[in-house]
Amino acid sequence: MSLVRQDVESRVNLLRRFTRRPGRTAAEVTALVVAAVVAFPLYWMVLSAFKPAGEIRGEPRPWTLAPTLDSFRRVFGQQDFGRYFLNSVVVAVAVVIASAFIAFLAATAVTRFRFRLRTTLLIMFLVAQMVPVEALTIPLFFVMRDLGQLNTLWSLILPHIAFSLPFAIWMLRGFVKGVPEALEEAAYMDGASRARFLWQILFPLVLPGLVATSVFSFISAWNDFLFAKSFIISDISQSTLPMALLVFYKPDDPDWGGVMAASTVMTIPVLVFFVLVQRRLVSGLGGAVKD
Amino acid sequence: MVLGGLLAYPIYQLGLISVFHYTQAQVSGGEPTTFEGFGNYSALFSDGQFWEVLLATVVFAAACVVSTLAVGCALAVLLTRVRAVPRLALMLAALGAWATPAITGSTVWLFLFDADFGPVNRVLGLGDHSWTYGRFSAFLLVLLEVVWCSFPFVMVTVYAGIRAVPAEVLEAAALDGASQWRIWRSVLAPMLRPILVVVTIQSVIWDFKVFTQIYVMTGGGGIAGQNLVLNVYAYQKAFASSQYSLGAAIGVVMLLILLAVTLVYLRLLRRQGEEL
Amino acid sequence: MKLSVRMVAVAAVLATAACAPQTSGNSSSDKDEKTGTLRVWLFQEVNNRPKEQVVDSVLADFEKEHEGTEVTVEYIPVETRAQRIKAAFNDPKSAPDLIEYGNTDTAGYVKDGGLADVTADFGAWGEAKDTDPTARQSVTVGGKIYGVPYFVGVRALYYRTDVFEELGLDVPKTQEELISTAKEIRAARPELYGLAVGGAYTYGAMPFIWAHGGELATGKGGSYAAAIDSVAARKGIEAYTSLFGDDNCPAAKCAAMTGNDTITAFAAGKAAMAIGGDFSHAAVEAGKVKGRYAVVPLPGLKAGSIAPAFAGGNNLGVLKSTTHRTLAVDLMKRLASKEAQGELFEAMGFLPTFSDVREQVAAKEAFVKPFVATLAADTKFVPASPAWAQIDAGQVLPTMFQEVVSGKKDVDAAAADAAKKMNDAFGSVG
Repeated sequence: MSLVRQDVESRVNLLRRFTRRPGRTAAEVTALVVAAVVAFPLYWMVLSAFKPAGEIRGEPRPWTLAPTLDSFRRVFGQQDFGRYFLNSVVVAVAVVIASAFIAFLAATAVTRFRFRLRTTLLIMFLVAQMVPVEALTIPLFFVMRDLGQLNTLWSLILPHIAFSLPFAIWMLRGFVKGVPEALEEAAYMDGASRARFLWQILFPLVLPGLVATSVFSFISAWNDFLFAKSFIISDISQSTLPMALLVFYKPDDPDWGGVMAASTVMTIPVLVFFVLVQRRLVSGLGGAVKD
Repeated sequence: MVLGGLLAYPIYQLGLISVFHYTQAQVSGGEPTTFEGFGNYSALFSDGQFWEVLLATVVFAAACVVSTLAVGCALAVLLTRVRAVPRLALMLAALGAWATPAITGSTVWLFLFDADFGPVNRVLGLGDHSWTYGRFSAFLLVLLEVVWCSFPFVMVTVYAGIRAVPAEVLEAAALDGASQWRIWRSVLAPMLRPILVVVTIQSVIWDFKVFTQIYVMTGGGGIAGQNLVLNVYAYQKAFASSQYSLGAAIGVVMLLILLAVTLVYLRLLRRQGEEL
Repeated sequence: MKLSVRMVAVAAVLATAACAPQTSGNSSSDKDEKTGTLRVWLFQEVNNRPKEQVVDSVLADFEKEHEGTEVTVEYIPVETRAQRIKAAFNDPKSAPDLIEYGNTDTAGYVKDGGLADVTADFGAWGEAKDTDPTARQSVTVGGKIYGVPYFVGVRALYYRTDVFEELGLDVPKTQEELISTAKEIRAARPELYGLAVGGAYTYGAMPFIWAHGGELATGKGGSYAAAIDSVAARKGIEAYTSLFGDDNCPAAKCAAMTGNDTITAFAAGKAAMAIGGDFSHAAVEAGKVKGRYAVVPLPGLKAGSIAPAFAGGNNLGVLKSTTHRTLAVDLMKRLASKEAQGELFEAMGFLPTFSDVREQVAAKEAFVKPFVATLAADTKFVPASPAWAQIDAGQVLPTMFQEVVSGKKDVDAAAADAAKKMNDAFGSVG
């Protein structure tokens, strides 16, 4: 283990030095300005959610004198809203955990073991993403029907895992490759088993990558409209949050306040999820080796 | 295996559907399914609009990919150089942009740039200039939104990659007193290549298939269809009216184009002596 | 070129494959059970509670009448209807017995084999004789009836009373006056659109075409032919597109506008006139112009005439796959009965499809008068062909208007192109 610790320590020191260079103030100001620009549309979304109905598309004032919770009331007042929320959480969490787990093992396999057609396999993983999703919903619909999973959350979880895996595997492969082979040998010399190496050494080292892929799979599962409206047909109690947003997109007479409020409500859990996992992203290696 | 099947089987079906006459009436059994051979493909290729749209899609997607990657990578490097507070601020803003449903993000951007009710024109003093009327400016507006909602993916991924770069490497570069750009160019970029490759391929795939942003922001393809891209075209021609076979044919064409782009890209990388 | 070899190989395999893509064999059900659970899908409105109350009171009576039956209602977002309803056709197990659907979708759903033919039931229904002709047309495909009208929506002319008063203008009585008044207002008040129009606002443009005696398409039953390039229709296109320009509604801004955009402009005080629906009333009331506007029917060519309007709205229909046909038809009639439609109007403001009920509600609610008058004058409907879904989704008509107003094509060329695209669509559905 000593080798690992040494590596980590020198790395932490280095990062400290790397970041304590002249020009940091300029960098920080830039970061804050960019953050403000990027956040402005979000601010506008939240602002519109609080504006009274007639003001959303009126004078473009960046504030409102009559903030109202009406739009949020219309969002939360929907039949079964709590249920939708819970379903979305279940789907997203299941997808994140399953795809992270599978992707980690698969990435290790394709990196550490060489076999023929490896690249072909990796490309094949991506193929499903290359066609318009609408084109796949009909075949997937029949698969789900034949599996008897229509109208259940499985009909959302399974396709989402399948669709988020390719990226997760590709991504983690890069991380697994980045771990020096010497480390693996050192671990085995220390008497670690393969499973122990995998979970106690490799896993923490690729954690930043896992966090990045988790954010990816969380967001894509969380924000999905198409599968949710194609596979959850007759059992509204299995619907997910985006369906509560679509209610406000009425042809001819959209309710923008409701749209903005529902989107705000949908965005917050993603930010919470990110705040929970971002420490791992930032200090992935710092906290990597604990024992 | 199950998951593999979940991806492979639909693709197989897709190919199958594309050579039949297959609409909702066939799916629900109202009419028999008939074999059409390459009829759907020849209908597609003989449509002059298809080629025009294809060209626009390629150029637009390329611009989106390049901009997204440039912004994402630059900000990832920036993140490594700042302390916790600005870093968290930028990350949260970016995550918010990423997490906002595309349909809402597009709507908000449209509101911001609205000719009558948008704050952007007010601030820039542009009066009632319309951003969506000109073909180029409408594409530019959509491009900005696409970059806004997809750079966070690149930024977070590349940032995670940088954090995983072995210490000695950065140390050596820092000791040499290399500039930020040089460190990126000759140290980080090669180390991050596997990640950059996948991020690039993913971005190509997404931006080639961009739908919601164009559909919402240009009102389904812009003035007289000037801002159509392939996925919106597929939707209007096929999916909206349940002509699945034509849609599947477009899907297969997109698949082949993207596959070709990916293979060429990987081949080029390999020729440079880079192993994947 | 390994790729192309592989592609040919794949194609060859597929071409010789004996198996066809999956279908669901959704034939009509033979069963007609008289008890059990009936499933209903209705559209979820933004403010759905009052609608639920109306529906619930109908259900209570229905369940009392038919012992041993139970009705479950699911309210689905309108935006998800396409996937949901198609999925219901594909998987009868998930399908409801009764659905609400947009009336322009009728022909498509019939072609998909999803809706049950209720011609006989409709004929035997006492209240059906008062259904207005356009509403009846909206449930009719090829001479057969596939549902009952639930409510209608129609558009009329909103105008700013304060602006008209200030400029000393009269409410326009003909289409010609409408156009000249719009330009007059713009000249006097350049910050306003005279009449807000949209290049993507098909239903706002249609009255202009119809007023000139033009049609979108002519024909009956399965075979339609485009008529958008006829002399009369082109006059209408000419009239509508003449409203785009710096002297009324600048093309740069208005070419892309939808119906909702024009109403937004009106509600925010950016337009002196707009063509809006009865369903736009709430949005305008919430805007800046509250209390400063009035509504009249959109004028036709001759003084005092009303331009034919598009009669939108929703229908109710029984699914072919239902195992409770008699019950479902009965429930459909109850939900769309005169009494229930009257209550639905009070709850949601949806206009009834029965001429007599409509007259009654107009007497009570002043704001619906111009809309009811429009419906009473002459309304028209889109071609009852499944090709309409293709024409609509392919944005054939918006493209035509936008080509003209952006100067890419003249009226004749744009109309000819649109007619060709429409005929392709009509041809492809056979």
